Order: sequence, then structure tokens, then C-alpha cells
Amino acid sequence: MSTAPARLGTSWLAGAGNRVVVGGTSTTWRDLPELDLPPAPLAVLAHDARYALAAARHHAVHGGELLLSTPGRVDEAMRAELREAGFTVTDLGADAGSVGTSGGAGAAGAVTPAGFRPVEHDRLWLLTSGSTGRPKRVGHTLASLTTVRGEQPARTWLCPYAPGTYAWWQVVTLSLTQPGQDLVVVEPEQLDDWPALAATHGVDAASGTPTFWRRTLHRDPAGLARVPLRQLTLGGEPVDQAILDRLREVFPTARISWIYASSEVGAAIVVHDGRAGFPAEWLDRAAPGRPTLGVRDGELVITSPHHGTGLAGPVHTGDRAQLVGDRVLITGRLDSDEINVGGSKVSAGGVRDVLTAHPWVAWARVTGRRAPLLGHMVVAEVVLTTAPQPDAPTEPTAADEAALVRWCAERLPDYAVPRRIRVLTEIPVKETLKSDV
Amino acid sequence: MTELSRTQIRDLMGQVLANQGKVLPDDDGTDLRDVGFRSLDFSELALRVEDETGEELNFDAPGLRRIATVGDVLDFLVELQRQ
Repeated sequence: MSTAPARLGTSWLAGAGNRVVVGGTSTTWRDLPELDLPPAPLAVLAHDARYALAAARHHAVHGGELLLSTPGRVDEAMRAELREAGFTVTDLGADAGSVGTSGGAGAAGAVTPAGFRPVEHDRLWLLTSGSTGRPKRVGHTLASLTTVRGEQPARTWLCPYAPGTYAWWQVVTLSLTQPGQDLVVVEPEQLDDWPALAATHGVDAASGTPTFWRRTLHRDPAGLARVPLRQLTLGGEPVDQAILDRLREVFPTARISWIYASSEVGAAIVVHDGRAGFPAEWLDRAAPGRPTLGVRDGELVITSPHHGTGLAGPVHTGDRAQLVGDRVLITGRLDSDEINVGGSKVSAGGVRDVLTAHPWVAWARVTGRRAPLLGHMVVAEVVLTTAPQPDAPTEPTAADEAALVRWCAERLPDYAVPRRIRVLTEIPVKETLKSDV
Repeated sequence: MTELSRTQIRDLMGQVLANQGKVLPDDDGTDLRDVGFRSLDFSELALRVEDETGEELNFDAPGLRRIATVGDVLDFLVELQRQ
């Protein structure tokens, strides 16, 4: 066992004794392997969740300048870009033979930077998800990533996120800095079986994207119901009422929250009332230390104390926001949400919400497809539920396309009805736990 | 390239209309307005043809303005597959 020296007092390691389950083995933050890393600025590509956690702890103890990611998110071009930006790029855990735990775990295949530059001490770099283009680097610190500071009830958190993402850091900083916040890490190959892992280790709080939750409800609803969840959190994608309601049916007494957070603006919106969207009365309300939310020309605009470095003032998020009744709904990306059907504008997110409200539909993606006369038509892909909801009229069949088209036609204008609906057998998911709906 | 016959396209046209509770008449000379076959339906039919053949149609090809009857739709899509 190694004991980490405290660098910035004990606040960043107040949770050092918290339990961490990784690779199916139970340990603590304190007992993770001590890493012997190249000098900063350093880009660590963690092939294994254990070493990603160890790198996070290393940063909390020693500081320096760190970018942490999985190898899958950093292609050759990005490696070259990081080298040009002064990073030593190192793969961690790629070769079990190169990693020891006695005198310190080493890094395999470190590639030195193109040039040397001063280290930004305490800087943590995140790569954006790249869902709207090439991933960008956004600067943070442990302080800016630690958004949960007040005393929290003791919880065992599931961490299904890819190391180095904003959501991963949210769960990791919570466990690192708060006593009583244990962590159970889901490795990518465990993703489809996480309910069993979570039940075994007593997970009672879990955070994931709507796609993550939909996949679980689709694949293993009985296993999910056995996880003693008291807190469920959704984020990273638009959160619609249907997924909140389905989770509420399984966990009638748990707190179900959705959060709007990103590398750029940090954690900006947290809603606990079980409804999609946030209250319209939150708009343009300034409060010290809290983000200010606005809608400008249909776009969500956020001014936040948790912004990434270099971002100041109002940040245009690129997300579409609509006022519906007393709520502001966030329906999707502005640049991909709007489909022009013969001059009529259709919100893909709005159509998706109609589809996912159907009791047979476990997941839906709505897009525009090139078509004669109109320019584009609305089309959709869906995954049907394997266990229809109690109010489903019949078992779904191959003829469901017509039924779903009729469902939409009863709720949408003609031009917004998806005329082609392809049925997939599995909910697609990326490493980010998103399916780019 | 797989190509659909006029009869196969007619079947698909019948499906498009049937999904809306409408019936495709036997007479190819029937005016599209009498059938209630609109631009959205025409676009859907074109996408169905694409899905069946696995080939994209060249929508920029001329001729769309001449379409007035059921037969015009079928002739046009048969022709479009060859362009």
C-alpha cells in the first residue's frame, strides 16, 4: 500500500478512504497503484479504468498539467496535435508487463512533445465529445470540476463513463473529495451487464445518459429493478419525459434528476422534480455563484462560474431550447435538430419525443433524408421494447412501421411525420454513452 | 443495379396510400388529386424505391412537372431508376 502525500491540504483527497470497485475488485483511492509518470504537460491515454483513476489521484496529489482520455478518443492526428501542443503522450495499462505496483506503475510508450513549454500547474484538460466535429481541448482544474461541495448522504455511485470525460470527472471528483461516496466503475466490456455488477456491490446511485438508461431498460429491466437505486441521474443528451417516467415506474421512491453539463459550461442545470425541461422562471435569474440561463433565438445561452478556461460571459451552447408552457425544453443540437421539409421547419427532437412516448418504442433517432420535391423528409430509426408497457395494445410486429406512422400523424403536422421508420434490434451506443440522437 | 418493375412500384404506391387508409385505384389514368396522393406521398414512395433497390435516385432529373396521374408517377420512377 502507498500513502499519497497531501499537496493542497486534504480537501482534494478527503475521500481517499472511499471504496473503489474497479475490474470487479474492491480497493480504496488510497490503495490504487502509485504511478511513475513522465513530467507534465502530460496526456495519459488510459487503457484500463484502474489506471485512469490512479492518474486522477496522482494529479490530486502532485498537480501538474494533465489531459486524461481513453485511447479510443485520441486518433493519430490528435496524438500529433497533442505533441505539437507540448504534451508528452503516454499509454497507460496497454501492456500489463509494463505496469507494476510496487515501486510505482510505469507508462508504456511515452512519446515526447515536439517542444517544451511552461507547465500550467494544476491544469486539467478535457476533450469534448466531438459529437459536433473534432474534439476540442477545454481547460479545467480539480476545483472547477468539483461541483458537488455540500455534505452529501453516503452513496455508492456507479461510474459507467469513459475516463476523462466531463461526466467521469464529476463522479470521480465527488468520490475523491467527499467521504462516504464510494465508486463502482463499469469497464466498457461490462456495460451490458452493469445491473448485476451494481447489485453485487450495493450501488445505490447511478448517473448515465438517456441512451444508457434506455439500453438498460431494453436489455435487462428485471436486473435493473434489482439494483437498490436511491438516486438516478441523467445527462449528456436531451432528456425527455418518457425516459423519466419509465425510470419512475421502476424506482417509484428514488430521486430522479437530470443535469445539463458540458466540458465548456460545466454543470449548469440540475432538475429534481421528475419533469423534462427546467422551470421557465429560472431564465435570466442571476444569483451569486450560480449559472445564469437564457434563451436567445432558440438557443440555450449560459453564463457560468464553472466555465472551462478561456470561456467567459455568455456561452452559446449550440443546443436548441424551447419554451413549452411553464418549462424550457432542451431538444437537441441546433445544427442537426432542424429538418427543412419543403420549407416547413421540423424539430427532430420534437418528433423523437413523440416516438419515444409510444409504449412500444424503447429508443428513437430522427433525421432528415434527401427526397424529391421537398428537399428532405423526416425519417426515423427505432428500437422496440422487448417487454411492452402495460398499456401497449399488442405485441410489436414487423408491421409496426404503419402503426408508428399513424401514432405520429395523430400528434404532428403532416410534414413532420416520419414516413420511413426503420426498426433496429439494439440501441446503438458510443463510448460516450451517447447515440447522437 | 437492382431495378424495380412498374408493378413492384405500383405495389409500393399502394402501401403508401394504404398506410393512410386510402386505396390505389386500378386505373393508371386516375388523377393524383382524386386519389389524395400528395408531394409528401410521392417523396415517401421515392424513398421506398431507394430502400428496395439500395440505390439513390437522381432527384435532379427533369420531368417532375409532368406528373399528374398514377401512371405518370409509375413511369417517372421506372425512368428515374435508369438515370
